[in-house]
Amino acid sequence: MNDRNALWGDLLRRGNAGDGAAYARFLTAALPVLRNIARARLSGGTAEEVEDVVQEALLAIHAKRHTWRETEPVTPWLYAIARYKCADAARRRRARGGHGGADVPIEDLAEVLPDEALGEITAARDLGQLLDRIDTRAADIVRSVGVAGESAGEVGARLGMTEGAVRVAYHRAMQRLKALADETNMQPGRDPDRQQLTGQEAETAVGRRR
Amino acid sequence: MKTEDLISSLAADTAPSPAIAVETRLPGLLVLGLMVTALSFALVLGPRPDLATALANPMVLAKTLLPLLLAALALPLVLRDARPGARYGLPGTLIWAVPLAVLGLVVLAFLTVDPAERLRLFIGHSIPVCLPAITLLSLPMLAGLLVSLRRGAPVNPSRCGALAGLVAAGFATAIYSTFCIEDSPLFYGIWYSAGIGIATGLGALAGRHLLKW
Repeated sequence: MNDRNALWGDLLRRGNAGDGAAYARFLTAALPVLRNIARARLSGGTAEEVEDVVQEALLAIHAKRHTWRETEPVTPWLYAIARYKCADAARRRRARGGHGGADVPIEDLAEVLPDEALGEITAARDLGQLLDRIDTRAADIVRSVGVAGESAGEVGARLGMTEGAVRVAYHRAMQRLKALADETNMQPGRDPDRQQLTGQEAETAVGRRR
Repeated sequence: MKTEDLISSLAADTAPSPAIAVETRLPGLLVLGLMVTALSFALVLGPRPDLATALANPMVLAKTLLPLLLAALALPLVLRDARPGARYGLPGTLIWAVPLAVLGLVVLAFLTVDPAERLRLFIGHSIPVCLPAITLLSLPMLAGLLVSLRRGAPVNPSRCGALAGLVAAGFATAIYSTFCIEDSPLFYGIWYSAGIGIATGLGALAGRHLLKW
């Protein structure tokens, strides 16, 4: 455990200092542990649900990487974020009525495609309406990538962002839209604070590379 | 998107995080809130005329110092609570000394005053001022704290908001105590605590909504 803290701490420290390779190694090393936590906390969740939460946890780790203090061990920080995101997801699942869900073949685990999610959202509610409720650049990226079918590289060139940043922004926007679609289906009243917060977070992820 | 692809995308985005640490932002906003509170207090209530002589009595001094101590100990806790996985450490233990001291003072006062006086001292004459004043004076600082805490990542937003409420209420109560002339712990030990409880509860409610991430 101490070895892990020393190694991961070193990787994240270098990552936070701008070393992308070390940061990728840190996230890759943490991935199996994140999957274990998600599987344990979402007992009965489908492989897709587990992977969704893992991705949310990764995005949260990325967005909040400045809250890790380099003098502290990194694993309690990492696991606390993972548990927080799992609790969030479990709450949402209960609110949806916790459908039992069909078993998903193991091959699907690696292929959780955003286009499928887009289908769900359009079916759930008018996509245009939902797009009006996220910040304009994120909405633009969803329209370009998800609806018009442009590649992340093309959109990035147009908006002056790297391809990676576009993909991150797209993924975040999709998560947000999914959440909005769920909320809207459940109850017509919504929570403007929550929305603003996520919009701001999306903005940080999107804006950083400019 | 495949999770592995997501990791590559995140790793491509390693420009230093632009987010300012909570510790950097919080003091300024807290002081700003404190100034609004102090100014409102000075305009509406103001200190009691006999403040200097009254503070010579330890029982009176305690009603200002204990809430101040509460705020000073809750402040490191709220900062730690904004970081995932952080421990409360020493302040998390020491803070319990404040309610214990209050309890001790209340018991002491209960035992030492004339039994016929107990109820009169407990009810006092200013509950309708005391409770709303402590709550309202807390709000500017609570707002400042919540704004800065949004930079953090509290894994229990309600608890983090409650701790922010405790900090704000501690300072607000210390300020209010210089106006209040009810000097028996039977009054302030109970009603100040109730006011701090209200502000803390408001902090928890606000945190639950504002500090989610």
